[in-house]
Amino acid sequence: MIPPRHDTRYVGKPAARVDALEKVLGEARFLADINLPDMLYARALRSHLPHARIKRLDVSPALEVPGVKAVITSDDFVDHGNYGFPVKDNYMLAYQKVRYVGDAIAAVAAETPEAALAGVRAIICELEPLPLVTDVERALDKDAPQVGPDRDDGQSPNFLDRSIVQAGDIEKGMADADIIVEGVFSTPHQEHAYLETEGALAIPTPEGGVMLYCSNQSPFINRDNVAMVLGLAPELVRSIQPPVGGSFGGKDDLNYESSAQCAALALKTGRPVRMTFSREESMVASYKRNAMKMWVQVGVRADGVLQACRFRGLLDSGAYASESSFTGWRASIHAMGAYRYDAVDVEVTSVYTNNAFSGAFRGFGNPEVNFAIEQVIDELAEKLDMDPMDLRLQNALRLGDALPHGQKLEESVSLTACLEEARNQSDWDRKRREFPQRNAGSELKKGIGVAALFHGLSLGAEGADYAGATIRIDDDNGVTLTSGFTDYGQGSRTVFTLIAAEVLGVRPDRIDMLRPDTDTAIESGPTVASRATVLGGNATRIAAANLKRILDLAAADLLGCRVGQLIREGESYIGPDETPVSWDDVVAHARKLGFQLSAQGRWQAPTIHWDHHAGRGEPYFAYHFAAQVAEVTVDMGTGQTRVDDIWAVHDLGRVIFPQGAYGQVYGGIAQGLGYALTERVDFVDGYIQQTNFERYLIPNAADMPRIHITLLEDPLSVGPFGAKNVAEPAMVPTAAAIANAVAHATGRRIRRLPISLEQVLLGYDLTPPGTPKRAQQGLWL
Amino acid sequence: MQINFTLNNTPIVIDAPPDISLLTLLREHLGVTGVKDGCDVGECGACSILLDGMLVNSCQLLAPQADGRNILTIEGVHDESGGPTDLQRHFIEQGAVQCGFCIPGMILAGEALLAENPNPDREAIAEALAGNLCRCTGYIQIVDAIEATARERQARSGQGGRS
Repeated sequence: MIPPRHDTRYVGKPAARVDALEKVLGEARFLADINLPDMLYARALRSHLPHARIKRLDVSPALEVPGVKAVITSDDFVDHGNYGFPVKDNYMLAYQKVRYVGDAIAAVAAETPEAALAGVRAIICELEPLPLVTDVERALDKDAPQVGPDRDDGQSPNFLDRSIVQAGDIEKGMADADIIVEGVFSTPHQEHAYLETEGALAIPTPEGGVMLYCSNQSPFINRDNVAMVLGLAPELVRSIQPPVGGSFGGKDDLNYESSAQCAALALKTGRPVRMTFSREESMVASYKRNAMKMWVQVGVRADGVLQACRFRGLLDSGAYASESSFTGWRASIHAMGAYRYDAVDVEVTSVYTNNAFSGAFRGFGNPEVNFAIEQVIDELAEKLDMDPMDLRLQNALRLGDALPHGQKLEESVSLTACLEEARNQSDWDRKRREFPQRNAGSELKKGIGVAALFHGLSLGAEGADYAGATIRIDDDNGVTLTSGFTDYGQGSRTVFTLIAAEVLGVRPDRIDMLRPDTDTAIESGPTVASRATVLGGNATRIAAANLKRILDLAAADLLGCRVGQLIREGESYIGPDETPVSWDDVVAHARKLGFQLSAQGRWQAPTIHWDHHAGRGEPYFAYHFAAQVAEVTVDMGTGQTRVDDIWAVHDLGRVIFPQGAYGQVYGGIAQGLGYALTERVDFVDGYIQQTNFERYLIPNAADMPRIHITLLEDPLSVGPFGAKNVAEPAMVPTAAAIANAVAHATGRRIRRLPISLEQVLLGYDLTPPGTPKRAQQGLWL
Repeated sequence: MQINFTLNNTPIVIDAPPDISLLTLLREHLGVTGVKDGCDVGECGACSILLDGMLVNSCQLLAPQADGRNILTIEGVHDESGGPTDLQRHFIEQGAVQCGFCIPGMILAGEALLAENPNPDREAIAEALAGNLCRCTGYIQIVDAIEATARERQARSGQGGRS
């Protein structure tokens, strides 16, 4: 529930997604649905070895295959297609070495998908196996095989990055503690499992450039990468986003590669080239959520005041850096949880291995560390003989507190309200007391657990934080809106439409929010980090306000009054004589006056600073706070955990698009549920074992608990209408809340995800035996 | 080989290889792109169609198995003027759509359920959707939409004096 508001007409009021109709009618054209005249089909040759030198690569036999029109290798790109940010260590097609099973080596374009596959199989590719390292704890050993690029600073080449947070005197903090709990936790790789797999379509343009359709998150970065590796001016590459079938952080790097491959093949053949992935190709080749190993130590005084937190994390970046150093940084910032401490000492290290590479995934390090710290808090409560809710409330960050990082929290800090609300709604106190008695002698054991969180909004000290939007009135008096942010299902086009409608005072259905297109929108950085609503929302708000200013002047002129005397009724303007004039009349008058009926808005996030060497500063300009409570039933006959209910209380600052906000929380919880119970990616000697949905188990409708959502609105002054972020935070605490509930039910503390039947029943994990075959078969390798 | 069937109330006669899936026949040979390819192994339900009213994964059938049958895809689900049906309208109103890739399959699964059980509870709806994966929504608003449609249809048929 959210309280009714009367200060807006469209913001926070019931509204439907702008693209819902085309989607329910089956009319939305996703990438694989686009078939063009003369279009060629592309397919990549991918490595069947986790680590190897490319000894011989002869693509000429592929060109003999009937139907094959072109084949490319890394030689077809500028600087061999070297790309990557912040570390430029990846290639659009592998150069000299392959570093994981699925690494693309060459790409073929042909008249049919079958001919493309035949072409791929005809390529002569001799790989000389290299020793591999797949265990993060071995990666930094002196004798470990080198996966990462050479470095000249004496560090191991497999060392990617280290992030620290340091505050207070950690030795004194621990010495002051009466109770210290420590534990080792591990979280697995997680597959994004968007229902639509990756792909790209490139169309050659008359002036020697290329037009791209790609189901990715960040078209501007895609454009810049493709232009760079093809040696084209950026304005010769146009990247357009069709409807995207889910992303969750997962459709960037690999889709940059697909785009570059299709673009090179399109320029070579002069024909449109499309590449779409099978599910197996997607799961083998795509990047994952980083697997993480963590050691946590927290000290508390006998009176329940948290003293100090030590945290060491090791992140598996896999074959390439992708976003892992940023993920590690976000993990380090959130590692100690949303609490006050006298001292913290956090260190998160990311390393290269020969597992598939890892990158951005919803939550970006926070679901991982939350799983660890929130269980340690419960263990401390147990040792103190305190209710875990009380221990959290006692130590929770409050308005005016300073984060351990040194940043004072000046507004929109609602963690205690979230915890109290979750406590009341879930009937926490009674269940916490009664369940252990009820469970005695029963094979079905019930438990209830909580996890709290904070989650930094947007990029923080990761990078420049800005956005732009444009708005114009067309000849038919419709309003066209653009944004540099993309909508891959999360609903940002609807959020921006509602904000523009509210500010401009027109009906949302008058507004056409265009799909992202690098030729029409203003570059706004990547659409990641739950930043679209605040960054893009502010840019939209400003653009709409600039346009409204023009229309207000025209209306005042038309009505013969001052702007301050205007009032609005529906879309109409009313002046002092109380006769309304329609919006159309005002627009016509504005044209007559010679006004340019377009505007743009740009917004820059507040300046923040992080000192990487000292591990102190202001990591983000604002934070989302939330608490989730999970109620579970554990069957001690089978070890199966059933999540019955989840109460989710999230502070969104201000809800712009209610249906979408609820959808984000429901969907985030579903992903957290899978992360908690069933989703696992196992690499055996670098070979992934789960290549389709029969072994990679994401929740289905019948797996879902009842979900009770409460959205709080403690506004953020710089947010559009007070809004903050929601997409990532929704999944952050779910796994920890479930783990705490399982511990309450069974007395068994599970420190390794997923919470498998074996772990619950036996206390340890039975890793299924693996074979390289499965991954290879999936790709026809 | 020649395959004859009815697709969204239109008779189809098509020459197609016998070893392709019905999904491939629909998407690649007939341009019926509302039927989605999500896994090709019968796990995700994105390729759901109604075959003589029964919900099936078209990736798990061979094209010739369509012969003589009546097939409904999302392209055949709309009101007389091409607008949304009551179920589709409820999907929109309940916020059941995010990325939309699974939605054609979800709508067909919902119609198949309501044809068989006009008055399902939430558990029955969730069970009926268990073969259709969605990664965005957490399913709750999809169940809401089907539930709302069932209630509305029940109320309407009640008013009409039919049960």
